[in-house]
Amino acid sequence: MKRLLVLMTVLALLLPLSLFAQAAKEATTVAELGPDGRFTTTRKITVEVFDRGVDDGRTPAEKNVWTEWMKAEVLKKYNIDVTFIPVPRWTETDAINNLLAAGDAPDVCYTYSYPTVQQYAAMGGVTDLAPYVEQYKHLLPNLFDLLEDINVYNNLDPKTGTLWALEARQFYPHRNSVFVREDWLNKLGLARPTNHAEFEAMLKAFKDNARLLLGADASKMIPMSISVDIGWMGDPLTTSFVPEGLSDELLWSLGYDDRRIMWPGYKEGIRLLNKWYNLGYIWKDFPLYPFGDQTYHDNLVRSGFVGAFMHNWDYPYRAGGIDIQTTLAQTGGSFIAVDPFPNDAGLYRKYLPSTTGDRKIFFPNTNKEPLASLLYLEWLSTLENRKYLQIGPLGVTHKVLDSGAIQIIPAAVPEWIQNSADNIDYTMVINGKDLGSAQLNGLSLGLGYSGVDPKYLEESYRIEQHDGRIVKNYTVGTLEAQVGLDNVLRDKRNDFLVRAVVAPTAQFNAVYDAGWSDYLATGGRAIILERLARYEEIYGVKIQLPAGYVL
Amino acid sequence: MEDWKVSRRSPAVQTLAKPADRYKRFRLYMHKYWTLYALLALPITYFIIFKYIPMTYIQIAFKRYSIVQSPWKMPLANNHGWQYFIQAFKTPDFHRALRNTFMLNFLDLVMGFPAPIILALLLNELPFKGFKRVTQTVAYMPHFLSWIIISGLARQLFAPTSGLVNIVIQRIGGQSIPFLNAPAHWVATYVLLGVWQSMGWNTIIYLAAITAINPELYEAADIDGAGRLQKIWYVTLPSIKGTIVVLLILALGNILGGGFDRPYTLGNPLVRNVSEVIPTFVYSWGIKGLQFSLTTAVGLFQSVVGVVFLLGADFLAKRAGERGIV
Amino acid sequence: MRIKSRSQRIGDWIIVLLCAFVIFICLLPMVNILARSLSSPQALMRNEVLLWPKGLNFDAYQYVLKDKTYTWSMTWTAILTAIGMTLSLVMTTICAYPLIYPQLKGRRFINTFIIFTMYFNAGTIPMYLLLKDLSMLNKPIVLIVPYCLSVFNMIIMKSFFYSIPDSLRESAQIDGAGPVMVLVRIYLPLSTPVIATLALFYAVGRWNGFQDALMFMNVRKYYPIQLLLYNLINAISSIEVAIQEGFSTPGLNETIKTASVMFATVPILLVYPFLQRYFITGATLGAIKE
Repeated sequence: MKRLLVLMTVLALLLPLSLFAQAAKEATTVAELGPDGRFTTTRKITVEVFDRGVDDGRTPAEKNVWTEWMKAEVLKKYNIDVTFIPVPRWTETDAINNLLAAGDAPDVCYTYSYPTVQQYAAMGGVTDLAPYVEQYKHLLPNLFDLLEDINVYNNLDPKTGTLWALEARQFYPHRNSVFVREDWLNKLGLARPTNHAEFEAMLKAFKDNARLLLGADASKMIPMSISVDIGWMGDPLTTSFVPEGLSDELLWSLGYDDRRIMWPGYKEGIRLLNKWYNLGYIWKDFPLYPFGDQTYHDNLVRSGFVGAFMHNWDYPYRAGGIDIQTTLAQTGGSFIAVDPFPNDAGLYRKYLPSTTGDRKIFFPNTNKEPLASLLYLEWLSTLENRKYLQIGPLGVTHKVLDSGAIQIIPAAVPEWIQNSADNIDYTMVINGKDLGSAQLNGLSLGLGYSGVDPKYLEESYRIEQHDGRIVKNYTVGTLEAQVGLDNVLRDKRNDFLVRAVVAPTAQFNAVYDAGWSDYLATGGRAIILERLARYEEIYGVKIQLPAGYVL
Repeated sequence: MEDWKVSRRSPAVQTLAKPADRYKRFRLYMHKYWTLYALLALPITYFIIFKYIPMTYIQIAFKRYSIVQSPWKMPLANNHGWQYFIQAFKTPDFHRALRNTFMLNFLDLVMGFPAPIILALLLNELPFKGFKRVTQTVAYMPHFLSWIIISGLARQLFAPTSGLVNIVIQRIGGQSIPFLNAPAHWVATYVLLGVWQSMGWNTIIYLAAITAINPELYEAADIDGAGRLQKIWYVTLPSIKGTIVVLLILALGNILGGGFDRPYTLGNPLVRNVSEVIPTFVYSWGIKGLQFSLTTAVGLFQSVVGVVFLLGADFLAKRAGERGIV
Repeated sequence: MRIKSRSQRIGDWIIVLLCAFVIFICLLPMVNILARSLSSPQALMRNEVLLWPKGLNFDAYQYVLKDKTYTWSMTWTAILTAIGMTLSLVMTTICAYPLIYPQLKGRRFINTFIIFTMYFNAGTIPMYLLLKDLSMLNKPIVLIVPYCLSVFNMIIMKSFFYSIPDSLRESAQIDGAGPVMVLVRIYLPLSTPVIATLALFYAVGRWNGFQDALMFMNVRKYYPIQLLLYNLINAISSIEVAIQEGFSTPGLNETIKTASVMFATVPILLVYPFLQRYFITGATLGAIKE
C-alpha cells in the first residue's frame, strides 16, 4: 500500500514538471540602445554552431580562438554576450528537434533545408522576422548590403507577409563542370570535346585504349564514372537537352526538384546516359554505392581508373580528403574542365542558381532578443569581421602574394585550425570567400587549393559561368503539396533515374515513364499544379506548360 | 524404462483453493510474500518513470503535431484523429513496405531462428574443448560489426563486376551472379547475411541453457545405448524447449519490426521493390520529413500488430503446455 | 575412457569441419578490418586489401593510441560498462524473481504491464523532455539509468528461473526460509550461466550503444567510445554535404577509421572468453540434488 502511495506521489510530482517545460516563453522586446549604438544593459544571446567532432586536430566548436575573438568583439561593439551552442553536424535536425521541443533552442539557428524551417514555423516554433527587419532596417546596413533585398526577402510570404528565415548569401553561385583526364587526351592525341558526339567518341577511345592508358590495370578502366545521384553527376549533360529560351516563370514552376528532372527535355539526357551505359562507357557497378558516401567513387578516381566525370566546379581540386588532382599528379595525371554539351541553339547554357540556396537563418520562437540577434548578424556581415573569420591572421592562416592576392596556408599554429573551410560554420551569412573587391576575389580564386595549379580552377570557373543563366526564384509562400516530401521525392528521383540508366535500351522508355509517373503520383504533380495556381493567383499570369509535356 | 527422456510436457501451474475467510488469508499472504512486492517496487517505478511517462507522447499519432506544445494541448488531427493512419494506408509505398517487412522478417525467422540452435547443438557435440571455445568466441564476432562495415565488405565481395567473388566466377568461365542487384538474389543475400551476423551471438543463450542440463540424464541415456542423434532429440532439445519457445514468441512479436540498418545499407535503387521495409519507409516519409505524427502512427501500428502476434503466440504456446511469457 | 564407434568418429569430424567453416566465415570481416588498418592508404584507395595487409604500416594505430581522447574514452566506457552492468543485473534479478511465484497476486497484470513497455514507445523527443525535467541531461547518470532494465533480458532470466525445480523452492519454504533467502541461497547459485549471459548482454549493450549518448550527452569527456567513433565514421564524403557546403570534410583517412573500429571492438570481444568459465555444465544442478 505504502509503495503505491509513493508511486502515486512520484507520478503526481512529475506531470506538472513536464508541463512547465512546455510553457512558451514570451518574447520581451524592449530594446535600449545607447547613443554609441551599444545596449545599455548586457544582452545575452545563444548562437548555433555545427560540431564536427574534435578528431584530426579540430578544436571544440563552441570554444576556440575564433569564438573567443568573436565574443570579445561583439561585446565591445554592441554589449551583447554571445554563447555558442554546438549541434552535431550529422544529427543536426534531430538535435534541433529536441532543443526546440524542450524550449532550449539557440536564439540564432541555421539550416540548409528551408522546408524544415517551414515546418517548424507551421508548428509555431519560429519567430516572424518581417516586423523586426522592417523596424530595425536602419541599424542593419551591412546586413542588407551583403544579403541584398533578394536574399533578405526571398522567403517573404506575399499573402501573409511573414518572413520565417533569411537566406545566407552564396557568394559564388555555381553548378557543375565536366572533367576529363588531360593526360589521356594528350596520350591519345584527342582534342577537347566540344559536342556530344565528340564526347562519346572520346569515351570510346578511352575504352578501346585501356591497355595503353592503364597498362596492367586495363580491366579496371572506367571511361566515365557517375553515382547514384545521377541528377547531380549528369547535370551538365541532361540540362543540355533543355530547349533554349524557356521563360523564367516556366523554369520556376517546374523547378521544385533541384536536379531539374521536371524540365522539358530531361528524359533525352537520361536516354543518352542509358545508351552509354549499355555500351560500357559508364562505371558498371555504380548503382550499388549509396547516395551518401562518395568514398568508393572517389577512390576509383584517385586511383586513376576514371577518364571523365561531372561534379562541382572545384571538386577534383579540393584538398582535405578529396585530393583528386594532387593524388593523380604523383603519376602525371590531371583533370581539366571541358565544355562539351551545347543545347539545341548551339549555346553551352549553364543554369546557375541564384545567390540564395545556402543556409537559412531563423530565430526560434524562444528568442527573447530579436534586436540583439539581428545586430549579431549585422556584425557578422561587416566586411572586416567576416573577412578575418574567413582568412584569419596574416602569416598564421594566410599570406599575401605580390599581386595582392591572398593565399590560404595550413594553420601554422594548431589552435588556429579552421574546423570548416573559410570558417563557414561561423560566417553563417556568407558562403564563399569575399575579400572586398571583385578584382582581389578573382585573383585569389584559384589560390585556396594547395598543390593545384590555379589555371585549372580558373578554367573550370570560366567554363562554368560561360553562357550562364541565373535561374530565378519566385516567392509564393508555403506550398502545402511540398510539406514533408523532400526526402521521399529525392529518393524516388534517384531510384528511377538509376533504373532508367541501367535498363536495357529497349526497355528505357517503359522504365523511365513508369518511374516518372510514380514520381508525379507521389507528389510531383501536386507540386507543379500548386505552383502554377499560386503564381497565377499572386502575379496574375497563367504559365503555359510546353506542348506534349507529360503531367 | 526410458525415464531419462525429459518429458515434453511442462508441469501444470498450481491452482489455489478458495478459503472462507478472505481477509485473514490476505494478511497471511502479505506477511509471507511482502518481500516480493518490495523487490518489484524499484523495477516498477523504473518502468513508470522511464517507459510509461514518455509513452503518453504516443497520442501524437492522433494529433496535429506541434513541436512547442505539450501533447495534451495539440489539436486533434482530421478524421477524428485517424488522418495519419489513413495517409499511411493510402500510400502505395507503405503497402510495399508492409509486404516486404512481413516477407523479409518471415524469411529471417525461418532461416535465422533454427541456425543458432543448430550451431549450439554442434558446439555442444564438439569433442575438443579448446576448439569449442575458439569457435564460440569467433562465431559471435560478426554481431559487433555495424551494418555499414558489413555492407561495405559485402559490396567488395559481391558487386557485379568488381566484386571478388564474381571476378573469380568469371575467371573460371561462369556468369556473374547478381547477389546484390537483382531482387530475388538480393533477398537471399540479405537473409543469409542476417543469419551469419546473428547466429553466433544467439547461440549464447542456448549454450547457457544447455549447460544447465543435468548430466545424469546423458549418462542414463548412454546406459540405454542411445546414439548421438537420439541423445540430442530426447534429452538436449526437450530440456531447452522452454528457452526456444520463449525466444520464438518474442521473435514473432517483432514480426513487423526489424532493424533499419540492414535494409538501408544493403539496399540500392535496383532492388528497392524488395528492400523498402517499414523502418526505411518511416525514415524517409516520417523522420526526414519531420512528420512526427505519421512516424508515431506507423510505429503504433507496428506495435499493435506485434502485440497481437505476441499474445497469439503466447496463447498457442500455453495451449501446447508451455509456460509462455505473459 | 569411452571408446567411440566409427560412425561416432565420422560424426565428430563432420562437426569439426562445420565448425571450421563457421570460424572461417565469421573471422573473415575481422581479418579484413585488421588488414585494412595495417595497410597503406594507397592500397586501400585501390581497393586491393582483402585478407592481408598491403604496404604494412602501423601509423594508424600510433595515431589512435597517442590520442588521449581515445584512451580516456576507453577507460570511461569501461567504467560505465562495469557500473551499468552491475546495476542492470540487480534490477533484472529483482524484477524477474518475484514473477516466478505462481501464487503472486497481480502477476498477470504486472507481466502485461512490463511486456507492454517493450512494444510501445514514442521516440527520443519525449525521453529528452523527461530527462530534462529530471535534470539528468549531460550528466554521467544519463548513460546508466534510463535503459538499465531490458525486458527481453528479464524474460530470459525468468525463463531460466523456471527451469529450476519448484520442489527446491517449496522445501526451502517449508523449512521457514523467506523468498529473499530462497533467492540468495538457491536461485542465484544455480543461475550462474544465465547471470553470465546477461552480464555479457548488458556489457555489450552499453559498450556498443551510442544512440542515447548521441541525443542526451553533450559533454565531450563523458562520451562513450562508440560515440567518438560515430563522428569519425560519419564524416563521410557525401554529395549532399559537398554540394551544400562547398567543401568536403577533411580527415577521412580510411586506415584510421578501421584502426579505430578495431580499437573500439577488441576490448569487448575479450569479455566473452573471460565469462566462459561460468558456463559450467550441469555441475551446479547436480551438486544440489541430494
